[in-house]
Formats: sequence, structure tokens, C-alpha cells
Amino acid sequence: MIELKGVTKQFDDYKVLDKIDLTIPKGTAFGLLGSNGAGKSTILRLISGIYSPEEGEVCTDGEKVYDNPAIKEKIFFINDETIQFTTFTLEELKNYYKCFYPKFSEELFEKLRSTINLPLKKKMSTFSKGMKRQAIVITALACQTDYLLLDEAFDGLDPTMRIIVKRMLVDAMIDRQLTTVISSHNLKEINEVCDRVALLHQGNIVFSRELDSVKGNIHKIQAVFRAADASMPQSYSKEELSGTGIELLHFEKNQSVYHLIAKGDVEDIRKKLEPKNPIVLDILPLSLEEIFIYEMEALGYDFNAIEIEK
Amino acid sequence: MFDLDLQSRTPIYEQLYKKTVELIIKGVLKENDQLPSVRSLAKELGVNPNTVAKAYQELERNKIIYSVSGRGSFVAKVGDSSVKDYILSDFDEKAQEALKIGISKDELKERIEGL
Repeated sequence: MIELKGVTKQFDDYKVLDKIDLTIPKGTAFGLLGSNGAGKSTILRLISGIYSPEEGEVCTDGEKVYDNPAIKEKIFFINDETIQFTTFTLEELKNYYKCFYPKFSEELFEKLRSTINLPLKKKMSTFSKGMKRQAIVITALACQTDYLLLDEAFDGLDPTMRIIVKRMLVDAMIDRQLTTVISSHNLKEINEVCDRVALLHQGNIVFSRELDSVKGNIHKIQAVFRAADASMPQSYSKEELSGTGIELLHFEKNQSVYHLIAKGDVEDIRKKLEPKNPIVLDILPLSLEEIFIYEMEALGYDFNAIEIEK
Repeated sequence: MFDLDLQSRTPIYEQLYKKTVELIIKGVLKENDQLPSVRSLAKELGVNPNTVAKAYQELERNKIIYSVSGRGSFVAKVGDSSVKDYILSDFDEKAQEALKIGISKDELKERIEGL
């Protein structure tokens, strides 16, 4: 388990993270979402012990990570930059990491390397961006750590490599309860791979939850109401609909069609709107992308406010 | 067999749950048939094994499948499971729509008799 307790990270007088608490249970695939500069990479660097926090503590399996080689053996961090070790060959890269990770498996490494046909004796400076990424990913998997941190995880990997990595992760999760922490802007990938997600914004955690409960809890509603008799109103205001007890996050009316976004359980929403006599009532869960955009909008990170000069 | 729409808004575990129920209703999966292991299904679909495990747990809780330790998960007897409820609630929904647009109960009854 990874725990961040009251963590503040500051560079000069710029606060990147502000007293955050975050728990990442063992055996989960944890997705870190957030706008650019939200603090995702900083969190990963704190977890891997590259940075030490100004305040609070970062623990893995109950022990502080910073300056703790015994814990660092359990963690592999794949940086989002692929510039390191380009003077190495793949073989040298492998031998380098093997020194630090006692569980390194030559067999697994060779199996992966031959699957994707990556040259062992060529300098990595001659590799393409994707090949460099492949090199570090197969090395990481062969290190067989308990924790794998991926910054901009699937960037630069082709679809075949992506599925290979995903399958490797499945095996590792089942066989040795691997915990993965993935930061990504690719919400589709997060949706497939992760079971928990946290959303960050300007150094704070907006939420940290099970992915299914995030997706199952906000809905997009399209409704048309028809007055069953003269006693019923012809149309409803936002307040009148909120009055039924549903938590409305967004209200929009286009002629007779209502577009709503509401928090809560589907059946509960349905039940509460039923007395208004809807003749159309479509309730859909929000996609992760919509949740991201909506939550960010609520925090003032509104893409609608951005006007591009022509 | 378990083709999912990974782009869909519906959570993956819910899709897996529904897919399994549908395959049982259509008779593709029969009583005592073995389901793929969590590992093989997660790998095939490229999704999180915890998500697959969650769908299986939910199916088992509703007596749609049963598991034998060390051997895997199997399809339960339909009569004992909530597959029945699933079909009936689908039926209720359609029947309600029919009633709403003015088809009488007798007409619906006749229709069932004629099936």
C-alpha cells in the first residue's frame, strides 16, 4: 500500500502539492488524472523517492521511501522522458537495472525482448522514441517489482505493444499483486486499465475513488415532460426539478427537451422524475472524459471560456 | 464471445455482467458450462483483472454462476438464478410502454397466448 499523508511539495515558492492525502491500496491499478501542471508527475516522483516532501510523509508498505533502498527495490518508475541512458545498449541498460533489482528475471526479459524483436547490442541513441519506451518498459516488467509507476504510461507505444503491456500487467496483478500507478491524459486507456482513479487540480485532490463508482454516480439525462392534465405545469425550471430531490449539476432546456446532468443512482433519479410525467427519459452514465471536463469546469478550468482570436 | 465496447459509457464490469446474462439467455452458455478464468478474460479484453473479478462476484452473488474452488466459475441453473428476474424486468418495461401508448391488457394477454 502507498500512503501520502498531508504531503506538501514546493519548488522555491511555488507549491506544486498542497497538503494532499492519498491512499493507493495494494493490487490496484491506480490512475492519476489531472490538467497539465496539476502535480501528477510530482506525486509519482514522491512515491518513487526521487523527491522528499517539504511537509507530511510518503510511505510504501508502512515505511518512508526517501533514502530507503530496501523500499526502492520494490518500486520501478518509468519516467515520461526517454532521454536517459541513450549511450547505453539495451544489454547495458538491462545489466544496469539488474544491479538494483534483486528479483530481476533474465528469462522474462528475454521472452519480452524477443517478442518485440528489440536489438540487444545497438546503442539506444539509434532507437526511435517508441523503441526507447519499449526498452524501458520491458526492463521494468523484468524487474518484477511490487510497484510499477508509469508516467504518461502508454505514450509512444504502438497498439501491439500496448496490448502486450496490458497483458503483462494482468499476469503481474494476479500472480504477485502488482500495484500500478499510471498518470495519463489518455482517458480511454485509464478506463480500461484502472480500477481506481484520482483527479488532481492545482496541487489538490478533487476526488479519489473506485472507477466504477465514479462512472456510476454521475448521469446525463435527456428528458421530455408532458403535462398529464391541466393541473400540471407545461415546463419546469432548474429549481423545480431540483425540488424533486435530485442533485442537478447542469441544466439546459432546448425547446421541450431537457438536458440535465445529475449525481446519484439511476433508479433513484428515475423514481424522482417519474411524478413529472416524462414521456422521454434517457439516463446515461457519463464517460470518463465528460466527468473530467465537467469536474474541471466546476473548478473554474473551463474550456468554454477560452476564446481563440481569429 | 465476451466482446465489449470499451468506449462505452457503461462500466466494464456492468457490460460483462450483462453480456454473461445475455449469453445464458441465448443458450450460448448452458448450465454447468465453465466460464473463462479471470486471468484469460482480462488478458483477452486487455482490461483490469479486478474488474473481471468484480463482475464474476456480482454474478455469483445473484446465483447466475457458481464457483468451485480451484476449478473456476460455472453457469448455474437458470431457474435458481436471477436471469429470470432479468428477463421479467425487461418484459415489464416493454409491457409498461405498451400500456402507456394505449394497448390494452387484454390485447397483451392475447399476444402472449399466441406466442
